[in-house]
Amino acid sequence: MSPATAGEPTSTVFSASDRARLVADVSHAGSIAAPYWPLTAFVAVNPLGGLTDLPFGDATSAARGWFGARTHLPLEAYRAEHARGTVTDADLDRAILRHDPSLAGRGPLDIGTVSMDPVELVRWDLLHGPVAAPLPARRSGTVAGALDEIMTGWCAAFVDEAHTPWQMPSRDQGFYRSWLAAAGADRRLAAVIGRDARARIATLPDDPAELLALVLRTRGVSDDQRIAAVRTWILRTPGWAGFARWCDQWAPEDRAGVRLRVLDLAAVRAAMDHLAPEQLDLTGADLEVATESAEALLDRRIDAAVTAVGGDQRSAIADILGSIDADDRAAIWLAAHEWNYRDRLLARLAGPIGSSDGARPDAQLVFCIDVRSEGFRRHLEALGAYETYGFAGFFGVPVRWRPLGSPVAQARCPVLVSPRHEVAEVAVDDDAAYLSTCSATAGLHDAFYAAKGGIASPFALAESAGWFAGPVAAARTLLPPRTSLDTSGAAKRPWWKPFGGAPRTAPVVDEVVGADLHAGLSVEERTLFAEAIVTTIGLAEFAPVVVLCGHGSETVNNPHASSLDCGACGGAPGGASARIAVAILNDAEVRAGLVERGIVIPDSTWFVAAEHDTTADLVTVLDRDSLPVAVSARVDALQRDLDVAGERNALDRAERLPGSATRVRDRGRDWAQVRPEWGLAGNASFIIGPRSMTASHDLEGRSFLHSYVAERDPDGVALETIMTAPLVVAQWISSQYYFSTVEPEIFGAGDKMLHNPVGGIGVVVGQSGDLAVGLPMQSVMLGEQRGHDPLRLLAVVQAPLDRIEGIILRNSGLRQLVEGEWIHVVARETDDDVWSFRTPSGGWEPWHLADDSMAEHRTTLAHTDLSTPLSI
Amino acid sequence: MTTWTDLPAMAKIEVVVDGDDVPAVRDLFLDAGATGYTAVTGLSGFGHGGHHHGRLLFNDRASLSMLITVVPIDRAEGLIAGIRRLLEGRSGVFFVSEVHVSRPDYFA
Repeated sequence: MSPATAGEPTSTVFSASDRARLVADVSHAGSIAAPYWPLTAFVAVNPLGGLTDLPFGDATSAARGWFGARTHLPLEAYRAEHARGTVTDADLDRAILRHDPSLAGRGPLDIGTVSMDPVELVRWDLLHGPVAAPLPARRSGTVAGALDEIMTGWCAAFVDEAHTPWQMPSRDQGFYRSWLAAAGADRRLAAVIGRDARARIATLPDDPAELLALVLRTRGVSDDQRIAAVRTWILRTPGWAGFARWCDQWAPEDRAGVRLRVLDLAAVRAAMDHLAPEQLDLTGADLEVATESAEALLDRRIDAAVTAVGGDQRSAIADILGSIDADDRAAIWLAAHEWNYRDRLLARLAGPIGSSDGARPDAQLVFCIDVRSEGFRRHLEALGAYETYGFAGFFGVPVRWRPLGSPVAQARCPVLVSPRHEVAEVAVDDDAAYLSTCSATAGLHDAFYAAKGGIASPFALAESAGWFAGPVAAARTLLPPRTSLDTSGAAKRPWWKPFGGAPRTAPVVDEVVGADLHAGLSVEERTLFAEAIVTTIGLAEFAPVVVLCGHGSETVNNPHASSLDCGACGGAPGGASARIAVAILNDAEVRAGLVERGIVIPDSTWFVAAEHDTTADLVTVLDRDSLPVAVSARVDALQRDLDVAGERNALDRAERLPGSATRVRDRGRDWAQVRPEWGLAGNASFIIGPRSMTASHDLEGRSFLHSYVAERDPDGVALETIMTAPLVVAQWISSQYYFSTVEPEIFGAGDKMLHNPVGGIGVVVGQSGDLAVGLPMQSVMLGEQRGHDPLRLLAVVQAPLDRIEGIILRNSGLRQLVEGEWIHVVARETDDDVWSFRTPSGGWEPWHLADDSMAEHRTTLAHTDLSTPLSI
Repeated sequence: MTTWTDLPAMAKIEVVVDGDDVPAVRDLFLDAGATGYTAVTGLSGFGHGGHHHGRLLFNDRASLSMLITVVPIDRAEGLIAGIRRLLEGRSGVFFVSEVHVSRPDYFA
């Protein structure tokens, strides 16, 4: 007899209060799962985002227990960094003393004829001491594993909009009720549960909360243990838990399609567990990868140290090493690695800064803060009288964008913002013939890809369309298309949209009277956004041409394509945002309103939109046909330099990418290419300040660059905006790269070669399994080599310290990130000040090099590389 | 003459939480049978957590929000139990008061 049939109750007395408390507990339980955005609009998130109310050390400890995941590099990897010189003895010593300041007060150990400093002993242990021996992996129970597999199949079937040959019943009633209606016919489930599965499923409560209450009570789970129990169930499939979390917390209320709730997900898995012959341990948080015991490891570390250093100081050595366990060792290594990067970067930025000659530049170009802009900006600045700036790539205009002929409007702003306005793209010319052709070809396109992504339909598709698709596939494999330097200025369009007849278009930014209340923006709103753009960047003087350059990435056969687009635009290309902002800034009414706010944009200044394809390193000026003649000539000259800057930046990128350097710009069009570009790999710092701080330095594409001039922001509003939005989003990106690198299987999406799309929202690795979250292995690794240094984000700010401190203290989320050491903050008020480091406990400490003896070599240090992670 | 006390009595529940927690409160409201709610975002003021400066330009999640709902008094108890539980692990406050409404069928 299976345990769940032994005369147990199949219902329970369940008051409204009981139910509400349980729903609240499920909400608590679900918060551990980071939200997973559908791949159509990939958003980088911190996989431990639900734990940021804890300090980084505590959160990673909890994550090891709940996810069974690694949260730091293995000690061997850190030791390899030491061997490369990217972590020095001085870095380690500083990190050791920060971890345990009491070591500084201990006297040296007398070992034989020599004395050894306790810090030196700990350093020896970090560099040479034994590492924890892994124990054989605990196998998940066969039953639990089989049920997890079945669970993922049901999740995929529930959310799938088009690719399954049949739809689950009662989907509008939620996942649990839908599953309940169909699960009795599941033979795989019956094979695990038993022949009476159908009858037993039929006895389950119809309400997911009631089912959970029933199972929790049956299992004897107390009220204070049930959050752990619910977490155990939902984290059996952490990918789907993340998607459910997104549905609960982030999905637009008007989103089409079903909503997978955490409550339902927990109920279905609890029901399976309830019916299973072997049940899960619900005490939770016991998944940490098993290693030898802490005591056994400490004994071996002490033995090794005694053997290595000699003498008769075993008890003293044991006393010191005993205060630093395996988790502490990893934390010290990480801190030392970060100090090394910090020293190199700050030494570089401490040097003399560039100064402007005061002449009006030929053009000013505003790029996204994305780390991929840095190299391009540097190369462009070297080619002429150009000033470049960094600003979040939605250019401060949070709207939903409806492309020409599209029935769908998509948010083009960071996910932290809920857009309140919609801007439509309309044709300037007659568009009837164009839209008609689009409609027909788009239908063909959709039908082809729906069939391609289905379960049974690909067989029929191969029969019916193979004569066409086969030769095309062979041609694309043997002769991958090359990127052409087409700088005609036409806006990029999907291949299925006709090029020849595309009309000129423009965004409608004016408020549309009589239409939807949120269509377009009023002149006051447009003026407010324009003011925010200008003041946040710190623009005071205006060139004849000011280019707002969004970015995107054109790649083929890449489910993660949107991960290479602009995060500030909600995982979409940034060209549309640039066009909208340009339309606002060229608007005469807006400029008049700006004058009243003390901002004068000369009539001779024209704003121009552009888009940077980061895979091909091409910058395309958009809406070229609409430019005034005088501006057009200037843009022609600028375009030539943009092309040269692109070539040079591509050569830089080629050094870090495998394959032919001459084909680096074609990688996005090669459908066999699993690594079209490195994306944001290598990101490590977020620099807020004037470009003069960084302009003369090669930051190796590792820095987000946000322009900011403290003198033009006396009340600190712009800095608060930067630190509470772009910096927060950058921290999410940084964390995603960090955890996808240290744990590619659990926090990353695994091997891209094995990905299969599922449910129209994500991928699975292989034929089935959990949703693969995070970044593919190929985005952060090159074989066994890392393409990313897993460091916590370093924020570098040039602004008054009391202004920064006030912003940190009054924004609780930001304060958690800083004081919990999810990000580090260093700052100085002016170019002449020394850098200060914001301590986790509050207050600021002056920064100095880890090794003071290197101070005189600061100039040399400033020109060493920034520890580019790949050594290829 | 009809006075306001003649109008049907109901429970008004106002919850002030971080923007990130708004969906959890919303789900509790709806799960308890509330027929609607009002959300006020970007709250400013001073309280246990110090000063709150209201709406941030590009982050709707980081400021405080207030969610307000009105439910029949017999549904209030369950909802209050859920909110108390939710706020055990989060910052936030809530207020319950008796209100008199002109159209009780809107809230039932």
